[in-house]
Amino acid sequence: MKPVVDPKLCKGCNICVYICPKKCYSRGTDISDIGYFDAVVDAHEKCYNHNRSGKLLCELCILSCPDQAISWHPETEEEQSR
Amino acid sequence: MRAKPGEYFIQGNEACVEGAIVAGVRFFAGYPITPSTEIAEGLARRLTGTDGVFLQMEDEIACISAVIGASWGGAKSMTATSGPGFSLMQEAIGYAAMSETPVVIVNVMRGGPSTGQPTRASQGDVMQTKWGSHGDYQVIAFAPASVQEMFDLTVEAFNYAEKYRVPAFLLSDAEVGHMRGPLTIPDKIRIVNRKEKGVKRSDEAYDISDELVHPFPVFGKGHKTMITGMTHAEDSRIEPEDPKIHEELVKRLSEKVLMNRKDINKWEVMCPGSKTMVVSYGAASLGAMEVAAQDDRIGLLRLKTIWPFPEEPVAEIASQCDRMLVCEMNLGQLYGDIKRVALEAGCRKVELLSKIGGDPPTPNEVRHKLSEMGAI
Amino acid sequence: MELFDFYRKDRWPHVFCPGCGNGTVMNCFYRAFNDLGLSLDRTAFVGGIGCSSRIPLYINSDALHTTHGRAIAFATGLKLASPELKVVVFTGDGDLGAIGGNHFINGCRRNLDMTVICINNNIYGMTGGQASITTPHDFLSTTTPSGNKEYPFDLAEIAVAAGANYVARWTTRQVHELTKSIKTALQKKGFAFVEIVSQCPINFGRRNKMPDPTQLLDWFKESSVRRDKARAAAVDHVDLNLAGQITVGEFVDRNRESYEELIGAVKHG
Repeated sequence: MKPVVDPKLCKGCNICVYICPKKCYSRGTDISDIGYFDAVVDAHEKCYNHNRSGKLLCELCILSCPDQAISWHPETEEEQSR
Repeated sequence: MRAKPGEYFIQGNEACVEGAIVAGVRFFAGYPITPSTEIAEGLARRLTGTDGVFLQMEDEIACISAVIGASWGGAKSMTATSGPGFSLMQEAIGYAAMSETPVVIVNVMRGGPSTGQPTRASQGDVMQTKWGSHGDYQVIAFAPASVQEMFDLTVEAFNYAEKYRVPAFLLSDAEVGHMRGPLTIPDKIRIVNRKEKGVKRSDEAYDISDELVHPFPVFGKGHKTMITGMTHAEDSRIEPEDPKIHEELVKRLSEKVLMNRKDINKWEVMCPGSKTMVVSYGAASLGAMEVAAQDDRIGLLRLKTIWPFPEEPVAEIASQCDRMLVCEMNLGQLYGDIKRVALEAGCRKVELLSKIGGDPPTPNEVRHKLSEMGAI
Repeated sequence: MELFDFYRKDRWPHVFCPGCGNGTVMNCFYRAFNDLGLSLDRTAFVGGIGCSSRIPLYINSDALHTTHGRAIAFATGLKLASPELKVVVFTGDGDLGAIGGNHFINGCRRNLDMTVICINNNIYGMTGGQASITTPHDFLSTTTPSGNKEYPFDLAEIAVAAGANYVARWTTRQVHELTKSIKTALQKKGFAFVEIVSQCPINFGRRNKMPDPTQLLDWFKESSVRRDKARAAAVDHVDLNLAGQITVGEFVDRNRESYEELIGAVKHG
């Protein structure tokens, strides 16, 4: 599973960038439709839940995100192979 | 649990307790304050160990908050206090009005302002009952003048709180609360329960349109009710920035009471048609009652409902008399409104007998004032 | 149940500022509630006035948004009138500890069955950043422009002294521990109190050299000390940030009789 940031909800607080122990996120530089510099998932293959399904680990980003903007999505075959 | 029908001789406050129980009170939160404490003590004895709840809370603000919360839990709820506690409750009373929560508040009035005269009567909180909280809202308030009325009007306070979803008040005082007198509990008593959302009613005790008084969404029934003191729309969405929604809401809160004055206002007239009418309520009317009983020249309009202000009965009586004397145990609170309505209706002269200090105006004091007015 | 079955999708997005800890607490609460398999139809939420007190309005359940400081008093009436409902209170440091102080300590003492979540952001956030009874000494706010001369309350310790059956404090930096404590609190008989030190970047952090929420989270992490590793601090055990430390952990987990047990409560009517 990989984390995905919802651009309709993210308000660019970057707590996910700060809290992720594997540095899967980084501060964004593009402004979203609702006017924020959304965080970017640029290294989801480092995530504890890369190639993992069922009971997930860590989840610090999802629990911390104040805007409920992060959710788990299944990985494509290409993503799984990273 | 309720007292059996029959004849009793008890204290006013105790009669209030019996009235509450007959009306179906299931939650009482109180704080000790003279001269209302007997109500809390009575309900402590009667509710403890039953499926009702008695709570002594840490302060009056906690009391009124708890009774509002209990009402949303589905219980008929009540609190009792006097002046200083009544002042503390005002914010929450406004909340009850805004959230349309049925609650009953008994205020056994005592000498004020401030700590004043804890054991002596007054009618000093009359205006506060209507205007005590901030903003525009309407309440229903009854003024008992006897032990029997402490019972009857407590039942009515519950009925009207439930029917109109408003805070309803029993404005007693240290005299009526502490006097002992006869009480008759009849076999059949009219009890009105709230129109609950999602519950079909077979009887037509309810004749209010849903537009004015919305069905009550009790908590715990899956309604996902959202209740707030902020300005809210029909679907309870918070909308404090919308002037139109605010206006519609606040006006409806007033209209649902004002449009139903005919149902809510209750009064008694002695010697109707007299050219001089005394207008009074509660303990202040006791002296005038005796005068009117003994002297045909003097009539008495005794108001049993004082809020919403009973414009119609006052105007009707005023149009048929030359002089009115308002008797109040304060420096003139209902006097202003009575005078306004009466003069407009054609009465020539409206005067005030104001008595403070704790004793109700005696019959002789009333006669003295009437004689000064040239009525006798 | 899904996140947006728990929260009211039609009231989304919520009004909380970017980086506000309220959203974090909402995640942990949802996770705890959901993991326990609790039912929204058998739960009622009560909030006072303030940012965190608005959380009940976002939950898909019966909610009572009351007057400032009085949430516990309203919840007391609601709970006793319908004892079969689980009652959860959301409040803030000012709402609970300042204007609501009397109801807070008496609620703990009475030990009625309810879960109280106090989100302590050390400030009055909703009204623009005035000092609260948990604003640390010397910190700036709009009503302490030259530094807070007063010392703050330690809300969790007050709850312990007042008799609550369960007391825990975490910061929004410890989301897993927080979720676990909320689960314990929800299942605990009696008064269960969870205090969460949370970030208010806009009205607290910004005025105190921590405008970025991650700076506040770092401050929480650096300051947090487990309560059982008791700090050898001075006996003036009043300052939340005494010697720069915030004690976290489960403070007390006891089984004093709940108020319902003491009165033998029966469901009314």
